[in-house]
Amino acid sequence: MMDTEEEDFKSRLAPDVTPNRQLPWLTGIELLSDTNQNKHFLPTGLEGIDALLGGGLRQGQVTEIAGPSSSGKTQVCLSSATHVVDRNFGMVLYLDTSNSFSPFRISCFVNQLHPSLPKELKETSLQTIMSNIYCQSVFDIFALLDLLHHVETTLKHTVKLGGSKLCLLIVDSVSSVIAPVIGGKNSQGWCMMASVGVLLKRIAYEHNIAVLVTNHMVGGENGTLKPALGESWKGIPHIRLLLSHGTGNNHGTTTVLKHTLMVSMHLDHHEIWSKWVVFFSVLEHSSVTGRVLYVAGDSFAYRTHASDTN
Amino acid sequence: MEISNLPISPSIRSKLLSKGYTSLSSLSSISPSFLAQELSVKLEEAVEVLRAVSDTTTSKSAHIPYGIIPGAVTAWDMLSEEQMQRHISTGCEDLDAILGGGIHCKEVTEVGGVPGIGKTQLGIQLAVNVQIPVEYGGLGGKAVYIDTEGSFMAERAYQIAEGCIYDILDKFPSNSREFLSCKERLQVNNFLAGIFYFRICSYTEQIAVINYLENFLTEHGDVKLVIIDSVTFHFRQDFDDLAQRTRVLGGLSLRLMKLSKMFNLAVVLLNQVTTKFTDGSFQLTLALGDSWSHSCTNRIILHWNGNERCAYIEKSPSVPSASAPYLVTGKGIRGINSNFKRARIM
Repeated sequence: MMDTEEEDFKSRLAPDVTPNRQLPWLTGIELLSDTNQNKHFLPTGLEGIDALLGGGLRQGQVTEIAGPSSSGKTQVCLSSATHVVDRNFGMVLYLDTSNSFSPFRISCFVNQLHPSLPKELKETSLQTIMSNIYCQSVFDIFALLDLLHHVETTLKHTVKLGGSKLCLLIVDSVSSVIAPVIGGKNSQGWCMMASVGVLLKRIAYEHNIAVLVTNHMVGGENGTLKPALGESWKGIPHIRLLLSHGTGNNHGTTTVLKHTLMVSMHLDHHEIWSKWVVFFSVLEHSSVTGRVLYVAGDSFAYRTHASDTN
Repeated sequence: MEISNLPISPSIRSKLLSKGYTSLSSLSSISPSFLAQELSVKLEEAVEVLRAVSDTTTSKSAHIPYGIIPGAVTAWDMLSEEQMQRHISTGCEDLDAILGGGIHCKEVTEVGGVPGIGKTQLGIQLAVNVQIPVEYGGLGGKAVYIDTEGSFMAERAYQIAEGCIYDILDKFPSNSREFLSCKERLQVNNFLAGIFYFRICSYTEQIAVINYLENFLTEHGDVKLVIIDSVTFHFRQDFDDLAQRTRVLGGLSLRLMKLSKMFNLAVVLLNQVTTKFTDGSFQLTLALGDSWSHSCTNRIILHWNGNERCAYIEKSPSVPSASAPYLVTGKGIRGINSNFKRARIM
């Protein structure tokens, strides 16, 4: 009974939209089951960060790590690459803008993974893991856009080819190629930044890939530091984390700046949270009958997951 | 909006968009003279636009090999390459040890410190050490020294080269035939001839020389080290627009990264310090602001520790933070021989 109602509803909607470019309409329940079955958490290898992320890097979402210099952003990226390949999620593509991809450091991570393995097995596991991490250097924004387009085309054409599929895309750091073109008199730079953002989100969503980007810090008011790339970039990553140095020791702290599921720790992000609260209170009140059509960017599915558990 | 992603000048891009050319396919079958007339630009500019378009379209329609993008290398291949890579010795064994062998090629290393700590000395020492022949454990390459402050002294370079040769002959005293031919090359004049020196006097010259470096390095393929002493000097006084300074420096650092990767050489940037008010106190930090601090691969801070000079690795993707003392002697940068056997790990 429910199915025919839904089919009827969908068919009434369908003629009004252009057939070619439209992704299929999905109900909330379909999105929820898709989330539970397909959108896995990819481990970063660092328990604290995995806990803050609610399990790890989410497939289909863009996670940003911001932090001052040498706070550990590249190390988080290298560690994630190692752990993701070790647990056989697939291949990792590492786009490096500051020549910081260190194969030696990756081999250190791999050796820490399974300390009890005999030597020959360790050697083969090292080779297998490192052969599944691809690294490419990018030094300007045009090359980055070109590369991302190429990745998208390749993913569309080689869906069921043998071997591993790309599951994690790391751009370290996306801010160093975007920052030199934004600001200034013309707005082309902002346009290109938006293109990069849209491309990253599309690749993440359509091919079920987790995207991890790093961002640096710039000075804000009163001498405090804030993440670079400005207000317009804030809306692009789904989840933003802020790393900071420990004072005098090796421990750093991580703060959640923005998360689709969890309350963020900073007061100025309450506006984002309250938007969701208003929306769901509308749904919950019984005076709303009939269906609600929500045209979503990308964060809708995961929020329904949370309200289900509330 | 594919036009917005083309590497062409913004004025031409806005002219294209205002005339209605929004996608690459709309420009595919158009002649340069027609385009020049449409946009009211010169014929050469129209030709450039069409060339940029054809470059983008050919790269997209080319056969995509399996291997996610062309040019991507696996970490395993990079590991074997990296293990065979030689490093540039700094002259001080402790400092070399904490750096993992010395200054790495294919990476940009920033060295900062207060005036008088020995940055220029380290720069000249590296320019000499990179020329140590392969048979004696060096790279056998040449150096490019870009001097912005005028602190390079040829007499000091002569002294340091002499000291370096003396130490090599001390370390490898054998008189076998292979070494004899190298010994002839171990002349101070050869070492001085292997340093290409650029003196620049303004920030425009600095930007120009870095743009020119690509051509220079293609001609002189044996250059293995580029030193800029100091990268901050001209950008601290003349620039009014700080936001523009950040953008220009960002572009500069990306270009240097690309050069180091493309030509497999080490880039060393020497930087000055400034004071910064953080957490209620004044602290010494490197100049050029927070955005510059991420544009290098490694960072070494030279500082005074009581009466001795110390080098501290602040940022590195592959080695842990550590500190090592060093000396500035008549022969150049040397380690502390007798007392300190091991570098202190922080």
